[in-house]
Amino acid sequence: MSGVTFQQVTKRFGDVVAVDQLTLDVLDGEFMVLLGPSGCGKSTALRMIAGLEEVSDGLLTIGDRVVNHVPPQDRDIAMVFQSYALYPHMTVARNIESPLVANKRARVDADERERRVKEAAATLGLEEYLGRKPGELSGGQRQRVALARAIVRRPEVFLMDEPLSNLDAKLRTQTRLELVELHRRLGTTFVYVTHDQVEAMTMADRIAVIADGRLQQVGAPQAVYERPANLFVAGFIGSPPMNTLRGVVSPGTPAAVTTPSGTVRVADRGTAADDTEVVAGIRPEDLSVVPPGGEGVVGRVENVELLGHERHLVVSCDGHVLVVRQDNGEPTPAVGETVTLAARPEHVHLFDPAGSGRLN
Amino acid sequence: MTDLPGAEAGAEDLVRAAPTAPLGPRSGDGRRRLRDALMAYLFLLPALVTFAVFAYYPLYRLFWYATHRQPRFRNRPPTYVGFSQLWDSLTSRDFAQGLLHSATFMLYTVPLGLVLGVVLAVAAHRRLRGIKVFQTIFSSTVATSVAVASVVFFTLVNPEVGYFRNVTWLSLNDPTSAMFAVSLSSVWQNLGLTFIVVLAALQAVPEELNEAALLDGFGPVRRFFRVTVPLISPALLFLAIVLVIHALQAYAQIEILTGGGPAGSTETLLYKIADPKNIRSLDLKAGLSIGLFVLTGLVAFVQYTLLSRRVHYGD
Repeated sequence: MSGVTFQQVTKRFGDVVAVDQLTLDVLDGEFMVLLGPSGCGKSTALRMIAGLEEVSDGLLTIGDRVVNHVPPQDRDIAMVFQSYALYPHMTVARNIESPLVANKRARVDADERERRVKEAAATLGLEEYLGRKPGELSGGQRQRVALARAIVRRPEVFLMDEPLSNLDAKLRTQTRLELVELHRRLGTTFVYVTHDQVEAMTMADRIAVIADGRLQQVGAPQAVYERPANLFVAGFIGSPPMNTLRGVVSPGTPAAVTTPSGTVRVADRGTAADDTEVVAGIRPEDLSVVPPGGEGVVGRVENVELLGHERHLVVSCDGHVLVVRQDNGEPTPAVGETVTLAARPEHVHLFDPAGSGRLN
Repeated sequence: MTDLPGAEAGAEDLVRAAPTAPLGPRSGDGRRRLRDALMAYLFLLPALVTFAVFAYYPLYRLFWYATHRQPRFRNRPPTYVGFSQLWDSLTSRDFAQGLLHSATFMLYTVPLGLVLGVVLAVAAHRRLRGIKVFQTIFSSTVATSVAVASVVFFTLVNPEVGYFRNVTWLSLNDPTSAMFAVSLSSVWQNLGLTFIVVLAALQAVPEELNEAALLDGFGPVRRFFRVTVPLISPALLFLAIVLVIHALQAYAQIEILTGGGPAGSTETLLYKIADPKNIRSLDLKAGLSIGLFVLTGLVAFVQYTLLSRRVHYGD
């Protein structure tokens, strides 16, 4: 087992910089999720670990070995592709055993090979499908075969490129749990790429948020959720996303941000100076409706979304749309009604509107 | 699909209800069935007429000629002599020799054409700057007629003035090398087709499969034979059949390059049937044609049954 380290790793395709000076330490045995929107460079970063893309600049280390120029088959990694990339002309058993047959370093004798294939198949509940071809399996079963092919060689690092995106919603939830379970059981390093923040939040030990080829923030899912490092992370993680309001820091204590539609109290103003412009970020669950005339921002209720276990109020405040998460027990304002919203001061995030970095 | 109990019960009800539902037009409605049948034959008619005029009737005439002796004088009708005449044609020296030449031609052209086509296609299946130029050059022979290509090739191997006139293994004057020279021209002419079909097949192989094979640890050679070849096998089977049929039907290149010579060494079965110098009798040629027809059918059948077991047609 071993970790993966990016040191100032850059990948360029012609003039396009796909990954820009990425520095990231994936610890030994960790479940690291690379999270970001499409085209942000997360898959390229993963493919560099696999050796499918060359590193343009910087150092890439697996364990204590620099692998910049190590060919893919000698890196001791296994990868699960989005399309699963199973060999359609081979049976499930032959697909699973292929790394043991192909790789000189992983090659084992026939008995051992059969034992390991059976073991991998048993781990993923594939015993009865060993004689079938991938074309005769469902999407979920194919996905398991791809996983079995990855675990059979007992690699140092597992790489997964959006492996759940071709599954339906129910199967995705189930497989998510199984992947976490698999990681616990194997204790191997997992590097997992996804654009789905739910997958990232539910499975990761740590999340690395990437946008435009640059690392935005690394941390445990809860930490990233609670203290997003910049406006991008704040908007990308959390559903519905964090509300943002532009305003000016008012002088004096306790600190507050004055916006065109009202005042937002802030417990900790951080490095935000008096009278500077800031963006206040407030999670939907940290906003609540207060009696009219109280301190807060005033807006008009545009819509009430019923979700069964909770409600989302969509409130328009001077051009900004704010979403408020309400419990079912709370009184519901009617659509069109004017309401005053107050934020919990200790949960108000302040960002620099220019550099978008966090101020408190 | 949801797994709500209500939804499942609904599906079962549907299945139970199915047998009582009408399954098509009532069998008692005879007039309607007749009308449907007539309509179907009406739609089949154009295809049937075409086949009848260009395939079934000629085939019938072939048997007729093969079993009738042509009179010495044209004012007399042909006389029926039975299938022994056909048997004589099929056991004649002409048939055996033509068969041997056709088989040689096939052996020279099919494997070589297939391998060369695959090699060129693999070489051109890369994302390199300017590779389109090579792809166009390699596929250019598709747009060249056999006659034109043969004349071009003849300028190279012409025994008097050709560029390769001193290359003995390409000599058209030598009975031992003439067949190979003609075959080589055929290989070259078919290369465009082979190249295009194989290139298209290669481009249909998902890139991720090659990457998975690379990560699994297969080297380039094993990756090619274990992953690429099985995935392009339908294209290869198709080409093998087409090339064999091309070989059995080759005529123009032989006529232009050697005229069947020297000493009949390039007279394939088809060439003997076409018989441009008109030296064989009509009944013999009809017999040879039937032999070639049966042979072509057999080859296609064997190729389909033997090779299709090893061909993978995707999922």
